[in-house]
Amino acid sequence: MVELSGVTKDYGRFRAVSDVSLAIQPGRVTGLLGPNGAGKSTIIRMITCLLAPTQGSVSVCGFDTVTESAKARASIGYLPEFAPLYPEMTARGYLRFRAGLAGLRGKAAAAAVGRALERCWLGEVADRRISAMSKGFRQRVGLAGAILHDPRVLILDEPTTGLDPTQIRETRALLRSLALERVLLLSSHILPEVEATCDQIVIIARGVVRASGTPKDLLRASAQPGYLVLPGRLTSAEQLEQLAVAIAGLAGVSGVAADATLGAGGLRVSSTESGGDLREPIAVLAAQQGVLLTELQMLRPSLEQVFMRVIQEAA
Amino acid sequence: MKGTLIIAKRELSAFFRVPLGWVVMALFLFLSGFVFVRFSLQPGTPATMRDFFSFWWRVLVVVSPAISMRLLAEEHRTGTIDPLLSSPVSEVAVVTGKFLGALGFLGVCLAPTLVYAAVLMWLARPDPGPIFAGYLGIALLGAFQLALGLLFSSLTSSQTLAFLATLVTLLVLEAGAGFGAQWLSEPWDQVPLAFSTDLRIADFAKGLIDTSHVAFFVIASVWLCGLAALVLRTRRWR
Repeated sequence: MVELSGVTKDYGRFRAVSDVSLAIQPGRVTGLLGPNGAGKSTIIRMITCLLAPTQGSVSVCGFDTVTESAKARASIGYLPEFAPLYPEMTARGYLRFRAGLAGLRGKAAAAAVGRALERCWLGEVADRRISAMSKGFRQRVGLAGAILHDPRVLILDEPTTGLDPTQIRETRALLRSLALERVLLLSSHILPEVEATCDQIVIIARGVVRASGTPKDLLRASAQPGYLVLPGRLTSAEQLEQLAVAIAGLAGVSGVAADATLGAGGLRVSSTESGGDLREPIAVLAAQQGVLLTELQMLRPSLEQVFMRVIQEAA
Repeated sequence: MKGTLIIAKRELSAFFRVPLGWVVMALFLFLSGFVFVRFSLQPGTPATMRDFFSFWWRVLVVVSPAISMRLLAEEHRTGTIDPLLSSPVSEVAVVTGKFLGALGFLGVCLAPTLVYAAVLMWLARPDPGPIFAGYLGIALLGAFQLALGLLFSSLTSSQTLAFLATLVTLLVLEAGAGFGAQWLSEPWDQVPLAFSTDLRIADFAKGLIDTSHVAFFVIASVWLCGLAALVLRTRRWR
């Protein structure tokens, strides 16, 4: 487990991270989400022992990252942003080097390198120089270097940068399988990436944890679904007005507003937490009013809306 | 020390995979060949390599900073320092590995010059003692200069800056020794002279293995490597 207790980090007078407490559990993918400059990288650098907190403490698998740094580092696999590598080396040579740094020797090192090459789909380029590889392959070499020694904690900064859609899908599946038995923390500012991969999301802004939970929890706590109602062209203005009043009277509806951008006579309905799915009651009301609906759609809030709201509140 | 040899091996092999390594080696061999033919392989002169070794100070003052400039500066620039320092190896192991790798490369550059000693032995009967002492002196001088370069390389992400800082420091130390000895009265004139590596190498070239010279180079190299490791450690506390 990775635990941050009251962690603060100052760079001179600038406070990059302020009083962050987090417990990152194994068995799920945790996403650290935030705009550029939010403090994500600083938090990751403190977990990976590259920075010491100004206040508070960080522990990795029970080892303090300052006083027991070597033991903490032995448990960590880290892929920094942009996957920094030695361009003059081959993928296999680089992985052998990383295996040596992790303390693996001889057959154990060779087996670990072979496994990592296979898991990250690098077999065909294993003996190619890194400088001659595409961005996607380099990213995969970096990922292979991070998972090579089977670490209990895996920290990945923007792990799918530069990958094509097929590789992204495969990497997501790999991350999910890796997360089953270890702590997996990934940092990203790409919302769909986090939404598709993470079981747990921590939103950081201006160095403070602004929200955390499962994607569903965050969506539920943040905003209720809205509805788009589009009546047929033959609907009269009077019928439309009556329909709007009737919908507004439904239990669970918090507001009804005309929205011309949806089409002529379009209505946008907002709901409250206790509302449940209002599509059927709206359809019944429309039928009772003699209004033919051409479209009735539930508008689910996206993580992007949640994220933007949290960031705006933090600003 | 865990990881030291792994890092040293990677560093040494990296020199042969980048153009810089081959350029430095070519420059080194060209200059050494020139110096040997110009000063040592002269008919009618004594069969020694004294001038050859004395001239080495001038060669190494440029070659050592060129070897050491990329050691840590390049890691800082490309970001490869992060996976390195987040792996379970100490800063001392990183610095020692880098230092040994660079020293190994200098050794590889020096090795072909043994041919010159063999040529001299074939043509004449030189005393092997001064030749051995000369090579020992060159290796110690190289270690000192590489350790200084490693320290500057740990402080910046610019290879050019690391090169210039090392070169200027080595030149200032030497010039300072000359000026200091001229302007200071006894016994203070000995202080700047103690930092003159040129004078120490001159003794080695004569075949004189003075333990104070050996101690100076070894202690200074260890001290400078220790400082470089401290620089890496303090990065965690920025």
